[in-house]
Amino acid sequence: MKTSRYVVCGFILFALVLGTRVRSWAQDVTYDEILHSSSHPQDWLTYGGNYASQRFSELKQVNTENVKDLRIQWVYQLKHQGIFESSPIVVDGLMYVTEPPTTVTALDVRTGKPVWRWSAELPRDLLTIGLFPTNRGVAILGDTVYVATIDAHLVALDAKTGALKWSVEIGDNKRAVAITQAPLAINGKIIVGMGGGEGGLRGYIDAYDAKDGHRLWRLYTIPTTGEAGVETWEGDSYKYGGATTWNTGAYDPETNTLFWGTGNPAPDWNGDARKGDNLYSCSLLAIDADTGKMKWYFQFSPHETHDWDAAEPPILFDATIDGKERKVVAQADRNAFYYVLDRETGKFIAGQAYAKQTWAKGLDANGRPIELPDIEPTKKGNLVYPSITGSVNWTSSSYSPLTGLFYVDTREQGAYYYKGNPEMEPANPRDIGGGGGQKVVLGDAAYSAIRALEGTSGKLKWEFKMVGDSWTGTLVTAGNLVFCADAGGNFFALNAETGKPLWHIQLGNSVRANPITYEVDGKQYVEAAAGNSVFVFSLP
Amino acid sequence: MTARHRFLWIALFALVFLAWTPAASAQIGPAGPPPHSPHPKPTAESLAEGKTLFEGTCAGCHGLDGSGANGPNIRQMGKILGPEGVYTVIYTGGAMGSGMPAFSSLGEKNIWLLVNYVSSFSETGGGAVNGDPVKGKEVYESNGCSSCHMIDGRGSDSGPDLSKIGSVRSAGFLHDALIDPGANLPQSDASLQERANYPSYTMYRVTMKDGKVIEGTRVDEDSFSLQLRDAKGQIHSVEKLQAEKIEVVPGKSFMPSYKDKLSETQLNDLVSYLASLGAAQ
Repeated sequence: MKTSRYVVCGFILFALVLGTRVRSWAQDVTYDEILHSSSHPQDWLTYGGNYASQRFSELKQVNTENVKDLRIQWVYQLKHQGIFESSPIVVDGLMYVTEPPTTVTALDVRTGKPVWRWSAELPRDLLTIGLFPTNRGVAILGDTVYVATIDAHLVALDAKTGALKWSVEIGDNKRAVAITQAPLAINGKIIVGMGGGEGGLRGYIDAYDAKDGHRLWRLYTIPTTGEAGVETWEGDSYKYGGATTWNTGAYDPETNTLFWGTGNPAPDWNGDARKGDNLYSCSLLAIDADTGKMKWYFQFSPHETHDWDAAEPPILFDATIDGKERKVVAQADRNAFYYVLDRETGKFIAGQAYAKQTWAKGLDANGRPIELPDIEPTKKGNLVYPSITGSVNWTSSSYSPLTGLFYVDTREQGAYYYKGNPEMEPANPRDIGGGGGQKVVLGDAAYSAIRALEGTSGKLKWEFKMVGDSWTGTLVTAGNLVFCADAGGNFFALNAETGKPLWHIQLGNSVRANPITYEVDGKQYVEAAAGNSVFVFSLP
Repeated sequence: MTARHRFLWIALFALVFLAWTPAASAQIGPAGPPPHSPHPKPTAESLAEGKTLFEGTCAGCHGLDGSGANGPNIRQMGKILGPEGVYTVIYTGGAMGSGMPAFSSLGEKNIWLLVNYVSSFSETGGGAVNGDPVKGKEVYESNGCSSCHMIDGRGSDSGPDLSKIGSVRSAGFLHDALIDPGANLPQSDASLQERANYPSYTMYRVTMKDGKVIEGTRVDEDSFSLQLRDAKGQIHSVEKLQAEKIEVVPGKSFMPSYKDKLSETQLNDLVSYLASLGAAQ
């Protein structure tokens, strides 16, 4: 009896001592907290850092003066190797990362030690057409973590333990529906799109009840018979025209509007069987978050034939343009143009090319591209800029309200586009074949650059050139720093106003993800996923 | 310790254990392909089907003709690995870190279509070889080639390793490279994946801020550093921020032209020898 009393007393004492150093893992995130995420920048609560998807952090402990002292705090090596593109969520002492193809791991942010891990059980005949089997992150709301699986399920997990709460099917993986994106949690709803457009699908985006996973609405991105816009697809091509919704969008709580990009029309490189503008492929959709009804759309690339999806995360901000206060949504598109739109009406405000492109003379007054002749793929191959992977792809850009600049990891590369057979059997997802092919131009003339664009116009303010083909998102902080990485494994910080490099570290593999930042016990950390590892940095 | 105390300890450990056990187990994929049907003989029809599948699935990384894009040149893959080997690579994915995912989901029939189409690459192209490879080997050994090149671990690695050069370069290319070495430098040397995207052996001249000048061929480069090998084989690591000027010297190579050093017969013999390296395996 005496011994047990000592044990209990010992534990109480131990807990008291620890209590001064341990913050409990509450893991209960309210909608209001996400709404005001800028007021508690110690956490990273959504894929885009905030609903505006700005990937801007108010943290400024690490700044232009001391960033040179940044050093590795811990490294977590994945248990499931593969293509690692995860952008973590950090809440109250835990970091949620996703390992390929669909594993969620919760890490102690102080040490990098795993607290729990959950893996989706995947079918042996998993279909991933036109995409890599990976996952880019989770969403969190209340005490629940939400992940979309590669075989197209939305799964809810207990944020503290990883225990499965429920799982619902978003789409049929046997028909090539596959998901790599992070869902977006808003007030009581989980918003998630889908991918697999090269498999002969009709794209859609869904909202699910955060509590039990029942579907609240579905918006198809291609109109069907009797709906306006179906006439922009020849014959029955609308039935398998792609236009998926494979990357995470943004949300404007003021107007309860979601902003989500759509993918390319299918088949990719041969548009003969789908003559017309192919609405709403390669577009930005503004969607009523309660009803799923489309408020407006803006199509960046009508009748697209180069695989230039418009799935790049859009960024919302307010700015003064021509003396007027405007609420805008901006997107650096895969097609090499930067666009500024009125986010209430979808009206084009400004735009210009931010990378080399050889397919359009420019944009007209409504933002529609003025296409040049002979830009279509051909049997022999047609050299067009940008390349299939685009001037930017799925990686996120960032926007700083302090500098008014939009930071995009830009790719400068062209490709030979080949036209092939457009025939396909819609019932067979493996049959679609892309309708041709492409070959990117390699060599020293192909490179990447961090470009800082004036948010309101797209005008180039500065650039930082890199060697190779970078696939990293940008992060900008109130410490006046932009973090990004090159293809050669260098993770670095630039002065957000000038682009001057201030710090870099060789991580041994490329950073194929969006970096984030957070704070624990008054110390700022910066995270980057390189190769098959999570690296976390802080000042000494 | 009484039975009661033991129970307390066991309960405590059980609680700790339960609290830290991951909620679900992972599914681990198979190490290799499961038993499958034997290699089907290619037909004109199946090659055409394989071509369509290749262009939609593989060409994005390996190029439409298999000569490489973001991924490596695979034109000789069929010859090197054989049909079962190619099947395994497609089914399980490329080597660790190669970035090539497993394409097991394509299914047996489609994988065999790809195997046959990929294997058909090695049957085409390559140029005429009319020299004597045995004599060519003598030419190689008596002209100091191994002071810069390596074959099966012998020689120096200042220049490209030639152990399998016959599987990646045509005879015509090899002949031209002996005449004018700097004219057509290798476009995608995949011996190191990191440098597969830009031409290898490009000559650089770097002037450092302290006035020092380094000239050499590029071994590797990223946004902040440049690794050069000078004419003596010495490696130099250049921190770009410390360089005053970095210039590319196009069309130049440390390798001399053999146009006037070898007779046409000797050249053909040498090409014939080089073309045989790695090609028949």
